[in-house]
Amino acid sequence: MRDGADRPWIALRAAVAAVLVFLLGPILITVAASFNGSARSTFPPEGFSLRWWSEALSARWWEPMAFSLKLAALTALLSTAIGTPLAFALVRRRFRGKMLVEALVAGPLVLPTLVTGIALLQFLHALGLGALVGFWGLLIGHVVICLPFSVRTVAVSLRAMPPQLEAAAASLGAPPRVVLRRVTLPVISGGVFAGAAFAFVHSFTDVNLSLFLASPGERPVTVAVLAFLEAGFAPTLAAVSVLSLVIPLVMVALLERVVPIGAFLYADPGRHR
Amino acid sequence: MPRSFLLVALPCAFLLLCFVAPMAYLFSASVLIAEGTVPQDQPTLDNFRIILGSALYRGVVLRTFVVGFCVGLLVVVLAYPLAYFLVRTRSRWKGALIALSLAPLLGSAIVRSYGWHVILNQDGALNSLLLWAGLVEQPLRFLPSTPAIVIGLTHALLPYGVLSIMTALNAMDPALERAAMSLGASRARTFWRVTLPLTLPGVAAGFALAFAISIGAYATPAILGGPGTETMATMIRNFMLALLDWGLGSAMGVILLASALALLLIAALLGGPARRTVVAAP
Repeated sequence: MRDGADRPWIALRAAVAAVLVFLLGPILITVAASFNGSARSTFPPEGFSLRWWSEALSARWWEPMAFSLKLAALTALLSTAIGTPLAFALVRRRFRGKMLVEALVAGPLVLPTLVTGIALLQFLHALGLGALVGFWGLLIGHVVICLPFSVRTVAVSLRAMPPQLEAAAASLGAPPRVVLRRVTLPVISGGVFAGAAFAFVHSFTDVNLSLFLASPGERPVTVAVLAFLEAGFAPTLAAVSVLSLVIPLVMVALLERVVPIGAFLYADPGRHR
Repeated sequence: MPRSFLLVALPCAFLLLCFVAPMAYLFSASVLIAEGTVPQDQPTLDNFRIILGSALYRGVVLRTFVVGFCVGLLVVVLAYPLAYFLVRTRSRWKGALIALSLAPLLGSAIVRSYGWHVILNQDGALNSLLLWAGLVEQPLRFLPSTPAIVIGLTHALLPYGVLSIMTALNAMDPALERAAMSLGASRARTFWRVTLPLTLPGVAAGFALAFAISIGAYATPAILGGPGTETMATMIRNFMLALLDWGLGSAMGVILLASALALLLIAALLGGPARRTVVAAP
């Protein structure tokens, strides 16, 4: 049985290798193209050049990049601040209309972001707040679409927490506020950080919503790249793309060393205790 | 319970004001805006009539669905072997391989579609390779085209398929596979008769999720498509930002919304454990 049984496993490995090449190949090719010596986006690269990188790091591209970073950081902060208490209420408290609130929170995740974008754009104009299109409109929209991540990850870690921990602290005389600060928050901090990281990445990489809420002077890097693409392709974009992949990658990798946020990607709440 | 009321009230007020109200406004705009960007008093179904009555717009809707269906199918077919391997392997590289497979999620669709542009454009990698090998005399035109959009979206959404299927595989009791094998079934037979049927809900969920996300995706069709390969997303962008016809844009938005919702509902009904995947549609 052993010899025959290993053949499917070898076939599987070959298939896995092929899929990984499909998945990572275009990204590696983008990296190679960013060092291309020629102005056309050819492959294999003709010569080696850092000029696309120096252009990608110039003020023209650094401005939208910094705008995206600021937007993503504020979005992560706000959606964590709003989402954590809500997750608390959803997991720990009983109240009427809980199902409705759960559906409301899942809404922005379930409905196409692009539709949320055109809805917010029109709503702001209808209220006479068209001037908010740009940074503030983007911030509102991004918090809406990122909130479900914060709520879900915090809810997952709250459900995974042994309830005896808080009871033990309380029975040893800790007042509720101390229990919250010294027991509950440290235990769920993984979920809080994971939610913030997902919110940051989701905001930083968003195209579908930002497209409609950006203004010419206030636009994230994804929208700036799309606008540039209409005029034609240049290897600068390869360098900008690689940079906008590396920033969240480094951030998440650093955070992963402190909190295992990767586990939240495919956490199955039903299997936690 | 006034305290829990406060915990819930603020976030809900935010979502009602900044999500539910705009959505409601979108629905009203789709029947109240006849031209331009300002609503009128009389509701009309003209916007929907125009979209469903014109061969051009019907073609756009149809193309979007064909693209979404193909992407959903390709995503689960490619994701299954990878997910199966990642869950079952005992390699010490397991963690690194999982990270590598999911890392593309950290890049925007633009990063991933740009790579395909580098490969598929007229003097890109694929044409260089074909010319070098002497297989073609002249460079071929791969862009803009609908198949290129399908490839780009499949690539962008593959990690979601891997997540859905991994969740289903993790939820399955591995003792069932051992039982089948100890009763004499080969590895392949065990897979076809035990593992695949048990994880089919995860496959269905991955399919519907990829389908639903791809019909609302803008960046990939914008980068790899062009005139003649418009999808609902690129058309909505044209209505909203270029033609300033917010009535038609809203109506197409409502059609997109209803389609995506129907697909995700199917995914939730079929999904079983996989629907609990924490991360879903972007």
